[in-house]
Amino acid sequence: MAERYYVGKAHWLSILHAWLETYTILAAQAEGDNLYYAPLIPTELSHIVYDRARSVQPLKTYLIPPLDEVSSDYKPPQKPWMFLGVKACDLAALSILDPAFGGEFTDPFYAQRRHGSLIVSSDCTAPLSSCFCTRVGGQPYAIKGFDLNLSRIWDGFVVEVGSLKGRQLLDGHDEALKELVKEEAETLLKIRDEARQKVNRINSDFVFPEAVYEVLAGQRESAVWADYVKTCVECGACNHACSTCHCYYLDDVTRADFVKLRGWDGCQYSGYAVTAGGGTPRPELKERFRNRYYCKFKYLPDNYSQKGCTGCGRCIDACQGQIDMRRVLHDLSVKSGEVT
Amino acid sequence: MNPMVNPYQVLPALLEEVTIETAAIKSFYLRPERPFDFKCGQFAALTVPGVGEAPFAMASSASHPERLKFTVQRAGYMTERLHALSPGARLGLRGPFGNGFNVADYYGRHLLLVVGGVGFPPARALLHTAVAQKERFLSIRMCYGARSPEDVVYSDEISALRKEIQLDLTVDSAGETWCESLGVVTTLLQTDQIDAAQTTAVVIGPPVMMKFATLKLLDLNLAPENIVLSMERKMYCGIGQCRHCMIDHLFICKDGPVFTYAELQNLPDIWE
Repeated sequence: MAERYYVGKAHWLSILHAWLETYTILAAQAEGDNLYYAPLIPTELSHIVYDRARSVQPLKTYLIPPLDEVSSDYKPPQKPWMFLGVKACDLAALSILDPAFGGEFTDPFYAQRRHGSLIVSSDCTAPLSSCFCTRVGGQPYAIKGFDLNLSRIWDGFVVEVGSLKGRQLLDGHDEALKELVKEEAETLLKIRDEARQKVNRINSDFVFPEAVYEVLAGQRESAVWADYVKTCVECGACNHACSTCHCYYLDDVTRADFVKLRGWDGCQYSGYAVTAGGGTPRPELKERFRNRYYCKFKYLPDNYSQKGCTGCGRCIDACQGQIDMRRVLHDLSVKSGEVT
Repeated sequence: MNPMVNPYQVLPALLEEVTIETAAIKSFYLRPERPFDFKCGQFAALTVPGVGEAPFAMASSASHPERLKFTVQRAGYMTERLHALSPGARLGLRGPFGNGFNVADYYGRHLLLVVGGVGFPPARALLHTAVAQKERFLSIRMCYGARSPEDVVYSDEISALRKEIQLDLTVDSAGETWCESLGVVTTLLQTDQIDAAQTTAVVIGPPVMMKFATLKLLDLNLAPENIVLSMERKMYCGIGQCRHCMIDHLFICKDGPVFTYAELQNLPDIWE
């Protein structure tokens, strides 16, 4: 049974003040309609948005920054990072990034940022119109991968311990931790079930199986691919906004001695896989577009036993051409006879 | 690997010698600061400081990790700048990367190298490794095809190699002084010369040549698991992370570049 406590608001704020002494807290905060991770300052604890939905930036923005000098040694931040308000979809993305950067060859930059940071996740209560976690095997609340998880309930939180590091965060705060009573546990179940239903309702028009590759497998040559790229402008936003996309290029700094930069790349760009001889396996846009779906639902699962799509919907929000991955999958399902 | 080892840091190497192979191809002899132990068929990311890096297979024998040979065709910005360098320049190496050839798998068999154009450099490391222990093979034969006599690399080594192995040479077109074969490399592969059951063929070259050589070998009844391919794709990291080199779910840089045709035959677009 998970270790869980009820923490009232006043106690919670004193815990946050204590954490701020040790950590740089990158907390989900509102800017307009959207949430962004930003460093928390002690006078603005009320700016933290615990519930609602996922932030605009995926966690990779911090773990593998868009442009990073990788030829020198890793320099840790002054204070270790704590991510606060991480949603379940972004924790799921770490199941791809962790093995990708920590397999046979460990990336020292990713490894040290990741293991040096703490993750305090929180439940999603107001999924966005682009959210579809429940359709790809997820749910709008975290069940693993966090150090602590917060569920907003009444005027406080249910705090669940997910790791030893998470338990240590609560050390010295015994007076704040109340044993969870049955009523609180039941309320939490109800809130979570409602959130799940909300995601399902948002996606009621889209029909495709959770085992997405079953549909893709027979649709390599489908007309659907060419159809959807009519509005694609090859901006690569779907790649960059995605929480699991992690393709990168390496470049040497001009006139410097062995200084290498690592930057985000995207498989939608025409030059992505072009060799020195000029050849490329995916010269046509529809082939590059298709590649992204195959990567999410076949190649990444083959590599890391996990879907490369967490249903966070960032690619849908970011797309200039209003291409909706759910609509693409729906149409492919119709074509393949999965949906009639 | 130790998590503190930085795979992006280069091993500095001194450029000791440059030789001209053809109008567009030069060989570069490098002395790394430490011996660069590798297996034939593996490759390195070669850095020209301040310019960039690109992957090249070592063309020299793996028994000399203290002095490496790379044979490079001028094809873009980085190779243009590399070609402009003179001995004494400082270069950088990352690697070695990739699986390389499992030469022991070919012991007791006829080893047939089918090589096209600038595929000779990676084939050369395998060739030298095999020739050094040629009693372990039933035979070693190389079929090499180039566009024209002027495009033949290592032409100065061919007569010495012919004392050790059967080496058949062909070019697509040539003037009247050419006394070797004419035609694409597959024309050198004749049924009566190949004992399909006991032959392992290694194919290295440009994609279109690899495709037709593989089809020809299948035609000659070689089993897909006895056709060995050294694949090429756009690469950056060399360590199975940046995903540029993928064929389906396979990382050419880490799972390859050496595959049997049996491992690839059911995947789409392998020759692109």
